[in-house]
Amino acid sequence: MTAISPSTPTPSKAAWQTAVAWLPRLLIALALLAFVGYFIVYAIYAFHLFRFPFDYDQGEGFELMDTLLFSQGEWPYRNNDHYPFYSSNYPPLFHVVIVPLVWLFGPQYWTGRLVSWLGTLLTAAAIGWAVQRRGRRWWLSAFSGLAFLASNYVYHVGPLFRQHMFMVMFETLAVVYLTATVEREEQDGRHYNGRLLLVMLLLLAAGYTKQLAYATVAAIFIFLFLRQSKRAVLWAVPFAAVTGLIFLWINLATDGWWLVNTVTANLNPFIPGQAIGLYRQWFTLHTVITVAAALFALYQLYFTRLSAYAVWFVAAVLNSVTAGKWGAGESYFATAIAASCILAGLGMAQVLDWAKQRGWRWETAVLTLIPLLWLIQADKVFHMPTHTPTLAAVARTLGKPTMVYIAPQTSCSAPRPPEPVHYVDSAGVSLLGRPPSAQDTAAGIAIANHILAGETAAFSEEAGFNFYAGRDVVTNPTQLLNLYQNNAVDLTEMLAMLNAQAFDTVILRAQFYPPPVLDAIGQQYETVDLIQMNGFVYCIMRPRE
Amino acid sequence: MVTKKQLGWLFVAAGVLGATAVLLVDVLEAGNYAGIGPAQRLALVGAGVLVLLGLSLLPLGDRPA
Repeated sequence: MTAISPSTPTPSKAAWQTAVAWLPRLLIALALLAFVGYFIVYAIYAFHLFRFPFDYDQGEGFELMDTLLFSQGEWPYRNNDHYPFYSSNYPPLFHVVIVPLVWLFGPQYWTGRLVSWLGTLLTAAAIGWAVQRRGRRWWLSAFSGLAFLASNYVYHVGPLFRQHMFMVMFETLAVVYLTATVEREEQDGRHYNGRLLLVMLLLLAAGYTKQLAYATVAAIFIFLFLRQSKRAVLWAVPFAAVTGLIFLWINLATDGWWLVNTVTANLNPFIPGQAIGLYRQWFTLHTVITVAAALFALYQLYFTRLSAYAVWFVAAVLNSVTAGKWGAGESYFATAIAASCILAGLGMAQVLDWAKQRGWRWETAVLTLIPLLWLIQADKVFHMPTHTPTLAAVARTLGKPTMVYIAPQTSCSAPRPPEPVHYVDSAGVSLLGRPPSAQDTAAGIAIANHILAGETAAFSEEAGFNFYAGRDVVTNPTQLLNLYQNNAVDLTEMLAMLNAQAFDTVILRAQFYPPPVLDAIGQQYETVDLIQMNGFVYCIMRPRE
Repeated sequence: MVTKKQLGWLFVAAGVLGATAVLLVDVLEAGNYAGIGPAQRLALVGAGVLVLLGLSLLPLGDRPA
């Protein structure tokens, strides 16, 4: 425990000094308790999601559809002009990784949710290891890793069937392993090309999990350029070539639909207000780790050498501006959060080393301050389901509310009054984070039963209901809208089918479809039932007589 | 290996280029606003900060960046 406690005061010192020397231990224990608590909450949320057989987040079912197509040896990058009007705008790696699970267990939501969740745990472990390598204080490493999982944003999306956090995992592994490699190279005075090759493969994996990884690719090559300029160029050329060749291969294999669906369809409008709002929220929720990371990056800039983490942090924070694109959101800050967790931990370790050299008073003061800062950070990201008496009691004890009132989200039906929701989140009113309940599952089954009452697949904004009913998954509304806004889709066949009432059921949740599609639905279908699931009101529609 | 001074000059160059590009938006009439819009103003402030950061690195000389 020498790493925790400062040097023991001599016997001649007063009793208060002994008490003060124990204060850091108490605070460290409290902060650990807080972050372990968040981890337990994260696990509770994840296990509830693993059991939930429908979309919790609107895009999940379409990622499952991508995985299903890959498991059948087909590409999900397709022509949207013809039935089933389906295509994907995401790179393949996350879905390909899940394919064996789909072979074994069928198209189940828990497969991708489990893989994504495990990916966040691996990211947290990598963050902890990065801090431990330099800091040599297990509790500080634990804070850094657990703080990543305690972020509201990571909590919200970590256990979802979404590829974003899997990309962050590859990014984090690449930067951490690059740092270890370069440090060892500088220590031994030789190049470890095999290790650098592994870093490049991790980067490639990140990019082919989600396009957003380009910022981390840039950060790594900027860092390499700062340290070993010629080598950075020598590695950048083959890296770009391999990335480009894979891109060309997929594009050729899909008759050009890869380019249309992953590039053209991603040119979405930028909403400045959305970006500014998310930056404000991110900083408010993650103030301690962000400020600590920024200060340590500045310290490196002026007094030592810039680390890969500092370059990565700056690149990730700047790239988070893309959260302002239509369809983007809070998860775009996850890379910046991972980088700030590492930098904050390393910065605090450096301050502790400095304080240790100045005697036990300084060391005690810094050892007291650091867990206090982590406790402040823990308080800022407060989030907790309160659906059980124990969790509600914990929230009450911490002086937090045990429920909030949120109006169900409606788009195709009349507004509804606010309802009690047993989930509290300092990020504000959140559509994500509340563990789905048995009532939500029953609601999903009720919606699927509407499909089973007909003969055809439903024209549904979410894939889960068709999956449950064993029917085709028809189109992906957000991708369809992306393509429509970029003049990259012909809706003729789809509109003809809707006008002919070729679908027995239409299911709307947010009306993401392009305007001509919504017009056709409005003219040919009428609402026969409204069912609430996960805080959203779904409109079940049947053909008009 | 890049030095602090070289990095400083890179920052200055990036800031000047960035500011020029932001101002060119008006010349090319590519922006949504007549005159300098809010996003352009923010970008100009960022470019200015980058230039100042670069200038502050110049005195640090040949120390590795």
